[in-house]
Formats: sequence, C-alpha cells, structure tokens
Amino acid sequence: MILGLYTAFAAGPFLWVATMSVRTTTEISLDHYAWPEQWHWEKFPIAWFKSNYNVYFENSLLVVLSAVAVLTVIGAMAAHCFARYRFRANRLLYFIIFSAIIFPPQITIIALFQILVQYGLYNSLPGLTLVYIAVQLPLTVYILESFFARIPSDLFDAARIDGYSEWQIFWKVSLPIALPALATTVILNTILLWNEFLYAVVLITDDAKRTLPLGIQRFMGDQLEDVGMIATGLMIAIIPVVLIYAFFSEKLIQGMTAGAVK
Amino acid sequence: MATVVLKQLSKRYGGSESLAVDSVSLEVEHGEFMVLLGPSGCGKSTTLRMVAGLESISSGELAIDARRMNDVPAKDRDIAMVFQSYALYPHMTVLDNLAFGLRRRGIAKPEIERRVREVAETLGLSEFLKRKPHALSGGQRQRVALGRAIVRDPKVFLFDEPLSNLDAALRVGMRGELVKLHHRLGATMIYVTHDQVEAMTMGDRICIMNGGKVAQIGAPLEVYRRPADTFVASFLGSPPTNLIPARFNSEALHVGEAKLAFSRKSSVENVLFGIRPEDIRIDGANPHAHGEVLAVEPLGAETILRLRVAGVAADVMLRGPRTVSAKVGERVPLAYDIAAAHLFDPQTQQRI
Repeated sequence: MILGLYTAFAAGPFLWVATMSVRTTTEISLDHYAWPEQWHWEKFPIAWFKSNYNVYFENSLLVVLSAVAVLTVIGAMAAHCFARYRFRANRLLYFIIFSAIIFPPQITIIALFQILVQYGLYNSLPGLTLVYIAVQLPLTVYILESFFARIPSDLFDAARIDGYSEWQIFWKVSLPIALPALATTVILNTILLWNEFLYAVVLITDDAKRTLPLGIQRFMGDQLEDVGMIATGLMIAIIPVVLIYAFFSEKLIQGMTAGAVK
Repeated sequence: MATVVLKQLSKRYGGSESLAVDSVSLEVEHGEFMVLLGPSGCGKSTTLRMVAGLESISSGELAIDARRMNDVPAKDRDIAMVFQSYALYPHMTVLDNLAFGLRRRGIAKPEIERRVREVAETLGLSEFLKRKPHALSGGQRQRVALGRAIVRDPKVFLFDEPLSNLDAALRVGMRGELVKLHHRLGATMIYVTHDQVEAMTMGDRICIMNGGKVAQIGAPLEVYRRPADTFVASFLGSPPTNLIPARFNSEALHVGEAKLAFSRKSSVENVLFGIRPEDIRIDGANPHAHGEVLAVEPLGAETILRLRVAGVAADVMLRGPRTVSAKVGERVPLAYDIAAAHLFDPQTQQRI
C-alpha cells in the first residue's frame, strides 16, 4: 500500500513529463494534465537535430564517461592506499579529501572558474571533465575506502606470499573483490554528473559545448518558455538514466549493502 | 626441506616503547614441526610474520637454509603460509585459488594443471574445483588454504592458528591430517597456536613465548615435565600447575603445614613449590597434608578436586582417576609426588 503510494508519488511527475513530451506547448497550455490527443513523436527528431540535442547528448556522453572512467580508476587507487597502507598522515589526508564533501558547490565555483580561466580550460569540455572529477572524487574515495577497508588484510598477505607485487595485487585481488562497490560508484557518479547543471552552466558558454542539462535550458527564454520542448528534452536526458537503473539497480543495491567479503 | 634460524630477532612497532618481539632466538631443523605457543599478544604471530616477510625485522637476523633473509621480499623466500582466516580469494574458484601462486612463478600450464589436480586429489577437493570459496564449508575452505600452500612445494610451511576457526570435532580431525601431512611431505613447518593441546600433540618441539620473549624451547613432554619458569608451569596443563609458596627450614621444605624431605639446591629460602594436579594423590597411608574439598568436577575420564589445604592461601587443584569419590566439605589425606615437583624462585620466576 505504502509502496504503491510511493510509486505513484515518484512516477507521477515522470509520467506527466512523458505525456507533455509528445504534446505541443499550445496543447499543454490549454490543459496541463490531459492525455495526448495526438502523439507528436516528431518533437523528438526536432529536438535531436534542429535544437542541437545530438551535440548536447554527445558532449554529455563524452564528459560523463571520461570523468567516470578517471574517477573510478583514481578513486579506487586512492581508496586502496588509504585502506591498506599505514603511512604518516594517512588519516589526515583522508580527512582533508573527505571534508571537501561538506562544501556546497557554490563556495568553490568562483575559485574553480578563475582557475579554469587561468589555465585556458574555461568553456572547454576537458575543463568541465576535470572539474567533475575533482568534485566527485571525495565521495568516490569515501565509498570505496570503506569497502576496501573491509577486505581482510590476510588476503593481501597471501597474495604477497604468492608472489604478486603491490600493483598486481591491486588489479588482481582488490579490484575484482571490490566490483560491487565499483559498480555503485560508477552508477552513482554517472547519474549525478549526467544531471549536473550548476558547474556546467557556469563553466560552459558555447552552444556547441553544452551538455544535456544546459540544452534543456535553451528552451527557457526570458519572455517565453517552450514547455513542450522542455519536456521532450527532459525525456531525452532521462532515458539513459532510466536504462542504467533498469539494468544495474540490482548491482547498485548489492554494492550499497555489500559486506560479503568473507 | 630447510632450516630456519632466528638470531636475536626483535620487532618494535613505530610509536611503541616496548618490543612486540624481544630477542627471539630459535633454530628450526630440517623437516621439523616447530610450534610457537603462547597467550594472545605474546608475539608469536608477529614472529611468524617476520619469518614470512610480511613484517619487517627491527633487529636481529633471520636465515633460511643459511641464507640471510632479513631484506628478501616475502615472495622470494620460498615459503607458504596458511592463515587463520584462510585468506582464500573470494572472487576465484578453488582451482584458481590453488593455481594463483603457481601462475605468478611462470610455471608451464600443463604442469600447473597437474599439480593442482594432484593436490586436490589428496585433499579430497577434486569435485569442488569449480566452486567459489563462499560455497564451501569451513573444513573445505581450510583444505583449500592448505592445498594452496602444498601446491607451491615451498621450503618452509608457516601456519598462523589455522585451526582456530573450525569447530571442535573438525579441529581434532584436521590436527591428525596435518600431522600426517607433515610426515608425508617431511617439510619444515612452523605452527603458531594458543591451543596447548595442538602444541602438545603436533609439535616435534614447542617454543613457548611470553611477553615477546622465548620462555622455553623443548620437546612437548620435556616442557610439560620440566617447565623452565612459573609461566610455562602455569600456561601448560589444565588445570595449571599448583604454585604454592613454601619455605626451607632446617633442610626440610615447609609447604603449608607439610614438611617435605626436599634436597636444598640453592641458597634461596622462600621458594614456590610447583606441583601438577595429577601429581597429588589421595593417600590415607602416608599423607603429607590434608585438604578440605571445595568443589568436585567429574569429567568422566577423570575427576578434578578443588581443595583448601591448611596453611596454603590459594586453592589447590587435584586431578585424580574417575574412581575418586570425595564429597564437598570432606577432609581428604593428600600425598605429593615429590619426584615430579619443582621449585621456583619467587623473585626470578625461574626453576631452581
């Protein structure tokens, strides 16, 4: 019962946007909640080709995939080191990285803006990618560190006696065991960055470099909002996320509740 | 087969004042089964980990087959280790677990295959080769851990409390299998445990450790019968050796109210009279003392009595045959087996 209510609560807005995505703005302004009388599928190709959504989609894909790839590798390596090696200032460094989570993005964004301008990375996709990596790294390290820390150190000792170097141990023992946690961070980062708006809107100005969330903004003018096209754009942006959830939700839950290292 | 020689081996952890392992010297011979025994925190595991190369050596020297090993990395020491937690790679099948170490060493595939099958055969693991560790029982995992060591054919086997995660019945079985394995392979083995029964039944020799130091090294019965100090006397045996304060007076030893004809070997006047519970008999014919029964513990095969003996502050334990039929509150005559008793210096705790 409660689950049913919650599903309606969560799915309602989604369905509403889905219906609007195939209705024109004029139809929508006549009746906000009506079922589409005519299915205007043509709005999708219009958004995709005429409104540059193919470019935005490509940009988003490029930025998010490369950011997530780098995040996963660097985050896993950092987490492995924090969890496994005793060295001076281990906890201090970990705390510093972790404490970055508490800053709201509004605090750092001005500084980031200036840094990117100085290095000539402002208004560029690599610049945005770097920012995304920096922003998501603490959370990634945090999730992975707590997982790596639960892998019994005997396993590493056994691998060392079996003749493997620290580098090989990371790739052959740590990473495969941490797969559920890695999946969690990959999915989490992908979704968060896919929907990211604030950094993108500040750091990107060229239309050709916009990511999807910025593309949606394109239909919001000062005087007029093309609600119908916004809905279409949203649907294009949402579909990959829904697909990821559909295919990986099991893995995601596994990773979040994982402790099955024994 | 190999010899392992520890010379004044010490370990100090960073930021710690005291030594975790304090000048441990030990010679393990070719094919010997050496047990490191002691309470938790006595440094036995740290010593083993230094031999394995998992823990750096703070001072002293470690040699395997006369080659100095202090700075040789673990993988080049030609040792294999079995961990208490088994340390099986959870993401690999039994087959891969067994082959993991061999693959690293550049051994040809058919040879790896042959050795893994052979070891799996002897350990009864053949039907589980495709399974992952979480689908195995505790005993089977233990066998895989053992197999992973055997398949490597190392010079030295190291065991870190390998049986303490098993339930009691399985542990007794595995104990026997490990002894058989040792006979079959004839390999040098160092075995860490806090379980004295494991130590007594499996070891060729036992090295008893306390507070980071070696307390005594010797064959199981030798350490049991001739403990070097009060720690060994009370750590080995259950119930432990009775340690009763006693005093020499005119060439007789006064233990409580009893006078024992004990030849006096040292100038120490006050001593600790150490006698094992099984070396005290209930004997009406020629008693040394009398004791009041405080508790009776019939264990089936034998009976343990807790006694209060006049003039002795601590309770005295007696281990008698199952035919002992004393009642609580009863006064029983006691005879000490003086030949089996030992005297300890209360200052140094050493046997006199």
